[in-house]
Amino acid sequence: MRSLTLHLKILITILVSLGVLITAYQIFILGIPLTSDETDDLWNIDAKIEFQASSKEPVKLQMFVPPLNQDYVSLNESFISNNYGVSVNRADGNRKVTWSARRASGKQTIYYRLVLTKRYSGEQAKAKGPIFRDSLPVEGPEKIAADALLAPIRQHSADVETFISETIKRVNNTNDDNAKLLLSGDASTANKAKAVELLLSIAHVPMERVHTVRLLAETQQSPELWLRSFNGDKWLYFNPETGEQGLPADRLVWWIGDEDLIKLEGGKQVQVSFALNNSEMNAIRLAKLTDESTDADFLSYSLYGLPLQTQNNFQIMIMIPIGVLLILILRNLGGLQTLGTFTPVLIALAFRETQLGFGIVLFTLITTLGLSLRSYLEHLKLQMLPRLSVVLTFVVVLIAVISLFSHKLGLERGLSVALFPMVILTMTIERLSITWEERGAAHAFKVGLGTLIAASLAHLLMSVPELVYFMFTFPAVLLIFVGFMLAMGRYRGYRLTELFRFKAFLKD
Amino acid sequence: MLGLWKTWKALEAKGIMGINRRNADYVLKYNKRHLYPLVDDKILTKERAIEAGINVPEMYGVISTEKEIDKLSEIIGNRTDFVVKPAQGAGGDGILVVADRFEDRYRTVSGKIISHEDIEHQISSILTGLYSLGGHRDRALIEYRVIPDQIFKSISYEGVPDIRIIVLKGYPVMAMLRLPTRQSGGKANLHQGAIGVGVDLATGLTLNGTWLNNKITKHPDTTNAVDGVQLPNWDGFMSLAANCYELCGLGYIGVDMVLDQEKGPLILELNARPGLNIQIANDTGLTLRAHAVEAHIAKLAKDDIQETPIERVRFAQGLFGHKFAAEI
Repeated sequence: MRSLTLHLKILITILVSLGVLITAYQIFILGIPLTSDETDDLWNIDAKIEFQASSKEPVKLQMFVPPLNQDYVSLNESFISNNYGVSVNRADGNRKVTWSARRASGKQTIYYRLVLTKRYSGEQAKAKGPIFRDSLPVEGPEKIAADALLAPIRQHSADVETFISETIKRVNNTNDDNAKLLLSGDASTANKAKAVELLLSIAHVPMERVHTVRLLAETQQSPELWLRSFNGDKWLYFNPETGEQGLPADRLVWWIGDEDLIKLEGGKQVQVSFALNNSEMNAIRLAKLTDESTDADFLSYSLYGLPLQTQNNFQIMIMIPIGVLLILILRNLGGLQTLGTFTPVLIALAFRETQLGFGIVLFTLITTLGLSLRSYLEHLKLQMLPRLSVVLTFVVVLIAVISLFSHKLGLERGLSVALFPMVILTMTIERLSITWEERGAAHAFKVGLGTLIAASLAHLLMSVPELVYFMFTFPAVLLIFVGFMLAMGRYRGYRLTELFRFKAFLKD
Repeated sequence: MLGLWKTWKALEAKGIMGINRRNADYVLKYNKRHLYPLVDDKILTKERAIEAGINVPEMYGVISTEKEIDKLSEIIGNRTDFVVKPAQGAGGDGILVVADRFEDRYRTVSGKIISHEDIEHQISSILTGLYSLGGHRDRALIEYRVIPDQIFKSISYEGVPDIRIIVLKGYPVMAMLRLPTRQSGGKANLHQGAIGVGVDLATGLTLNGTWLNNKITKHPDTTNAVDGVQLPNWDGFMSLAANCYELCGLGYIGVDMVLDQEKGPLILELNARPGLNIQIANDTGLTLRAHAVEAHIAKLAKDDIQETPIERVRFAQGLFGHKFAAEI
């Protein structure tokens, strides 16, 4: 019994660790932002497709769109076209949209718009891919050139990864005649990729083409080609120009494979242009949006899953334990004397309506007037219930008068008084007057002042917006609070005021 | 900040008990909530005490309904002095002390002349709960008026001085004499301005005093020294206090007693949350003494011994008596 009992210790440990774990899970695993002003990038990608339709044939336009199975979550996707039927289908890890129309003529413009963000994706699916392939047929000088290239590549590489990057470097070496022969004068990226593929196929290393779009605002761009290969465990991405490995974070995979981005039947001169821009969005609002469009429903089990009206109430309610905690600290650690235990918290809630300064003035005014009425009633020797009823009615009248006056004087603030909880005021008056009689005016004044100080501090603390957001988003913190309160329940050290009260002991 | 820490350490070294420790380690631990009514209601306390053969001011009668007020004359009989008090009053409110009667009138201790109807009205007010803390209906108690022993004349101002002994599991741990002052209006409550004077548990000799959290050596109204006064019948007080543990079952109480001119030590009331200023009056902390008693009880429990009140008083006097106090 001297220290915390084992039972209590275990209980506190469980509560605190549970609170910490849940909060940590929310922050680190779910990635919920810590403050409400944290923002996330929101990407708006427009693909503009233009072509000339030939008036004789039906038009069928096929285009790849991002498969969205990676780190990105689509918030909105739209296919904007006039008089075209639209269908989307998935094949080989790609997504393809098909616009079709029986009749179209002249210049056609179709838009594809995608809004996405790089957050809150679900679990990564296990990567799967080929690790062997047959060689491509190659003959004559190309075969000799390829073999000549492959020999040093084999020598300079240790595994699939180094083999591929070495291959890419060799192909890009403009001084190498073998490489020049393979490229046959065409130094485009597509051709390089083709040469790399050939070399790799001879070594039976599979390779895929990846077409990416760079998330960079306000630059004209066309899809950029990357290569990737599966090493049995994960996909490795390579830049075909430099051999550098790893896909930069700002690349969005648009489609995979050898096909062209767009395939058009019944038209010509097709052109695609990409336009990107990004905007910032409040992270938690974004989380709510992505929540709706993904399977990850972590937010639906949080307080954000409640109707908006209820959410607002909860934002006030969830702050009450913080106020209570403050009162606990002020009273049991500080030794501040207040009226009743939680009266200050209730008064602090009332301050929400009136603002702090005005609230204090009002509180003092009404309490003072109420006290004088109460001391007058004392002479009449009334019983408790009738006496309290009279005081309550007086408080209501007083509030009405104050509202009326402040309205006439043009102080709109005065009208907020209406919600100032009158029962709390009445009880405050009653308690204060009992204290006054029992312990004297000085003590009553001290207690009244203590209550006001505690209420003001509680109000200030309870209306810190960052704290409100934090508590509302991570309610598990309350468990940590309960742990602290439990520990306080067996705190037996001195209160701050006792250090002064017992000063007499130290005077010898 | 460092100064505060030093103060903290110094107080801890002296074993000064703070409110948190009192509540957590003593009041909550030893005082069962369901026993509180026994000490909150003076009539219940008195009835228990009478059953147990403990000395209390004689109870003349109890009035619990408006109808019974008619019986007031019957209860008073021919007595010339008596006290009317609420059973659950707090802070000494609602107490009417009648010192004398002449013709059909009564005179209170303060010299005010009142009529029989005035007393009836006072009782009616008590019944409606005017003086009880929660405003609940209450009962009125009519009892013997204590006439304080002459010994207190020189160090007391009006009112009745009383003696408080803190009793832990039946072991008296600290004692204090409470003297009303002009400021306290004849009441013996320390926070109302009364003086507390420490008392040596072994001998009943008074020590220095405390007034409004300060140490004092003289009574502020009479300027007489408060220390070195021998309280008569001290062992009687000690055994009375020790007996209160069996009486109420509460493990940590303040026993308030008075010394009547004729009847000797009497129990006035029990307090389940005794204040901490008694430490200043005795210039000693409660914690060390309480720990000593708890260690003693633990030792006895191991040997399966239960001590009688007399043995408990002997133990406390041997350990906490002022000549020995230095070594604990």
